[in-house]
Amino acid sequence: MNPSLVNVLLMAPALVLLAIVFAWPLLDSAWLSTQASSVLTGLAPLANDGANWQRLLGDARFWQDAASTLRFAGVSVGLELGLGLAMALVLHRPGRGRGWLRALALLPWALPTTVLALGWRWIYNDPYGPLNAILKAFGMAPYGFLTTPSSTWLFTVIADVWKTTPFVALLLLAGLQSIPAELEESLVLEGASPGQILRRLTLPLLRPWISLALLFRLAQALGVFDLVQVLSRGGPAGSTESLALYAYHNAMRFLDFGYSATLVIATFLLLVLLTACGWLLLRRRPLEISR
Amino acid sequence: MRSLLLLWSLAPLAWQLYTSLVTPEALVQGTGVEAGAYWTLENYRQVWSAEPPIWRYLLNSAVVGAATTALTLALAVPCAYGLQRQGGRLRWAVTLTLLATAIFPTVLLFLALLQLARALGLANNLLALSLPYAALCLPLAVLLLRAAFADLPPELEDAARLEGLDLPQRLRHVLLPLLAPSLASTAILVFLFSWNEYPIALTWISRPELLTLPPAIARIAGSSLFTVPYGAFAAATVLGSLPLLLIVLIFQRSIVSGLTQGAIKG
Repeated sequence: MNPSLVNVLLMAPALVLLAIVFAWPLLDSAWLSTQASSVLTGLAPLANDGANWQRLLGDARFWQDAASTLRFAGVSVGLELGLGLAMALVLHRPGRGRGWLRALALLPWALPTTVLALGWRWIYNDPYGPLNAILKAFGMAPYGFLTTPSSTWLFTVIADVWKTTPFVALLLLAGLQSIPAELEESLVLEGASPGQILRRLTLPLLRPWISLALLFRLAQALGVFDLVQVLSRGGPAGSTESLALYAYHNAMRFLDFGYSATLVIATFLLLVLLTACGWLLLRRRPLEISR
Repeated sequence: MRSLLLLWSLAPLAWQLYTSLVTPEALVQGTGVEAGAYWTLENYRQVWSAEPPIWRYLLNSAVVGAATTALTLALAVPCAYGLQRQGGRLRWAVTLTLLATAIFPTVLLFLALLQLARALGLANNLLALSLPYAALCLPLAVLLLRAAFADLPPELEDAARLEGLDLPQRLRHVLLPLLAPSLASTAILVFLFSWNEYPIALTWISRPELLTLPPAIARIAGSSLFTVPYGAFAAATVLGSLPLLLIVLIFQRSIVSGLTQGAIKG
């Protein structure tokens, strides 16, 4: 048999399953977004001339959720990259028990998000959680970490940063391991300070890994669901509702599948747009540096 | 620096452990409670004998995790092998597809997958969950295993071919034994993903006794918004984390090297 045909046959089962689970749902949701499919139609699809999309454009809750999803993704991914780099540098340094340190640092990433989100709900509890106990010890009034509409999003960001920074750190650690130690030694011999080594050697060579971590985390953060559903339940006053959570509410609570599909596709388009922008920006940069 | 890192990673977890081991009075009043009424195992007794008991969710998650891991490896090994030997445009297209699907947030698939589950009668079926789970894990698994295949010297397989071994024999007797470390770390990562997945389990499973751990925990959290039994919650989170804690600590080398090696070569 033709060797290329054998390869295709070997890859086929996996690719077919991927098509069923990734491509078909996107096509199906795109089609469903042009249909009315809710309690009113008995959940049967019925063409409605783009009414879902018109509704989306005028839906203040959609625009608010889009803004808060972007805010969540931008701030948490930025923090994760900074902290992840610091964590990777610590985990890279040789020393006794480094394997154990890596495993323990990785724990928050390995445990289920819903489980940890529930844990954070208790940490943020007003008035009995540990954070409020600390405030009380300093003589301050208890703070509603999850009940203050203006600031709760920040506390969902902190929980997300805690949970996913280890993943970023692990990717960057892979990058650090690929940098030959001799390069750093030669810079040390030239009398470069740690800060200079970081700027001149480590960061430029880490760029591919930083890009990968950025793209991965950006896509995941734009689809944030587990964390906000369990930690803040989208509240208070809808201030932490993400696009994915809104889509979920439309399908499972309001039983409006057509509009839920519209939200899914709108989120998907936003995701493609942003990751494409990130990809283009990151692709051009390395060329400028090498010139 | 190291102790700061450990404090940041472990303090929230330690707080859960502490919460699970003390009485509600101790949680609320702090040091004012007398020693005898401070520590307790009551929270664990409560979640262990709840209806359904927590071990039921752990068992469900373990079953789904095992099925997903087996299915993913069965599909990913041939795919990774084919991809490694394939050249040209097809290789490039498949790799790009795998990368794109690897970063895709799974929650956007929930609506259509829910309809699929209803149409095919797969809802409330634990083993059926491993179908979408395997698909979601395949991109990472194939990329990791392809990098591992690329590491094997090509002469090895040529020699086995000259001995007259066909492809399944070469895989089973020559290539896969050498890939054991990569297979192990891939399997662990797939199991972790399956153990933690939430949106699809949430929408596919509605019968309480079939819930996997993440939706079960979220359901407990949603059931009592105002009078939250945090001690029992904490006991549930500790018990739900324990299997993974053991896996991470036992296999820490495989996990770290699997992810870092795969990222370097992938």
